[in-house]
Amino acid sequence: MPQYALVIDLNTCVGCHACATNCKEWNTQAAFGPLSDFDPYGKEPTGVWYNRIFTYETGEFPDVQVFHLPKSCLHCQDAPCVPVCPTGASYKREQDGIVLVNYDDCIGCKLCAWSCPYGCREYDEADKVMKKCTLCIDRIYDETLPPEQRKPACVLTCPAKARFFGDIEDPNSEVYKAIKERNGFVLFPDMGTNPANHYLPRTETKVNLEEFEKHLLRPDNPLFLEVVKRHHVSHKAEEVS
Amino acid sequence: MHPPISLIFFFLTAGTSIGSFILMYFLELLSLLGRGGGLPDEVIYKLVVFQIVLIGLGAFGASFHLGHKLRAWKAVKRFRTSWLSREAVFSALYGFGLILYLLAKVLGLGPVLEHLFGVSTFILGILSGFSTAMIYASNRFVLEWSTSITVIYYLLMYLMLGSSLMAYASHLYKLPYLGTFLFLTFLFVALGLGFRIAFNVRQFYIKRPTLNEALNLPHNRPIRVLDTGSTTDNFCTTEFYYKKGKEMLSTVLPVAYFLTFVVPLFLVVYSWLTGVVNYWTLGITFLSLLFGSALERWCFFVEGNHVQNLFYGLYPEEGYRLRKGYMERKETRISLY
Ligand code: SF4
Ligand code: SF4
Ligand code: SF4
Repeated sequence: MPQYALVIDLNTCVGCHACATNCKEWNTQAAFGPLSDFDPYGKEPTGVWYNRIFTYETGEFPDVQVFHLPKSCLHCQDAPCVPVCPTGASYKREQDGIVLVNYDDCIGCKLCAWSCPYGCREYDEADKVMKKCTLCIDRIYDETLPPEQRKPACVLTCPAKARFFGDIEDPNSEVYKAIKERNGFVLFPDMGTNPANHYLPRTETKVNLEEFEKHLLRPDNPLFLEVVKRHHVSHKAEEVS
Repeated sequence: MHPPISLIFFFLTAGTSIGSFILMYFLELLSLLGRGGGLPDEVIYKLVVFQIVLIGLGAFGASFHLGHKLRAWKAVKRFRTSWLSREAVFSALYGFGLILYLLAKVLGLGPVLEHLFGVSTFILGILSGFSTAMIYASNRFVLEWSTSITVIYYLLMYLMLGSSLMAYASHLYKLPYLGTFLFLTFLFVALGLGFRIAFNVRQFYIKRPTLNEALNLPHNRPIRVLDTGSTTDNFCTTEFYYKKGKEMLSTVLPVAYFLTFVVPLFLVVYSWLTGVVNYWTLGITFLSLLFGSALERWCFFVEGNHVQNLFYGLYPEEGYRLRKGYMERKETRISLY
């Protein structure tokens, strides 16, 4: 059975919030919109977002690393938010595994949000229904769009190309390969939710500059070395790819 | 978790209604079996009307928890999987059962129909309370709630409210059951106290997940939340974390304990020992239980910590003990160095 999902590369995600912003932009005007905002230009702006970016720091000073974690609904394969819904408004599609909310049936009881361990559902105080990432279902099946545009808004906009979209059950898909080859992992694996969205772990980039530095003439400008180093790294990366 | 006032109101009204009906009808059942004389019809009429009004008020109040009240009927659709759906169905049927029982009594439809409706309503009342409790107990992402103590305590509270109200009614209508209901009030409140203490003590021993587990990081890696994506609160930080409530909890919880358990226990024992039973002692017992339970429910919500709070750095860390070798079982892991 197909299971569409996002795969997010934590190696390249720069935490720019472009995906979150474009998600809001697309979804507030498309089939599932609007995503209500309150006090948008005031001191305490709040509103519904399908996607939020978290930033964490690991390690002990001075060996710390910062990474960013974009988090939208993970379209869990055993979604705990679905069976608790008393109206059946929350459902998981058979054909592609996307978890959706039917706004016409939702009574706004919030029980599904209570049953999501990831905090990926947000209640819209204006529409009085529960909202969440739709995996841009109104884009990916839209035949009026050119095929290369039939992807989630967040994937298309990511300037670092850190987001991928596809069927994680299809061995020929880009996302399947990325998960397999790069050790894709999921959030909260022990919650029994079996999330579909995966993250690609950060990996160490080792560059041996010893040989290179032997031949290096150190100029007066200390920054010169940095420039050359950087050039070398990107050169290497090109070779690899 | 943020305490929804509408749900606390539903608990109080439904609890008093169901608790008192269960005990009232139990007397009727006993008299059917030849034990005790049952209750006079006028008293049953009055009590059942009161119970119908209460459950009606409860349903009305609970609808304020919903975004779309007029669609509330749709909540019957997922009876097979959702405890909320079951609660809605059982509570509604309980209400109807009360009406049918009253009609059977008033119209004199005979003991068969009367007890058929009575027994059904009795069972539906228990199922309704059980389903409500299961909404909380089945939520495995709020570890404080996810225990059978939640269910047992919830049902005990219904009985506490019911028995203290029935004690008052016994005095009001000069029924011969005052001693029985005083004893039952004592029993249920004492048991309730035990289970509430167990609920609180258990919180110290819960194995709480950590941010490392949430992010699927190796266990021993230090990790800090730097930024949560927005400078202001959002639905997730207000619904699942009630900051003001957390600050007030240490004050409110002792008051809740005092009103729910200490005052009623004291008054019941006092009545017993001195033989002084009047509207004041019985009335204060019931009202103290009522207000205490409202505060107790408030605390119950505030005490609940949803695991999604981990992502925001709002999850408690105390009481957590390192589970060695836990992450090693994982097939995938993140490498940051
Ligand atoms: S991430 Fe949350 S809302 Fe999305 S499918 Fe999983 S449990 Fe449901
Ligand atoms: S808030 Fe809506 S979608 Fe969520 S459980 Fe309630 S009715 Fe279902
Ligand atoms: S898939 Fe669509 S709805 Fe989901 S986070 Fe991306 S842009 Fe938002």
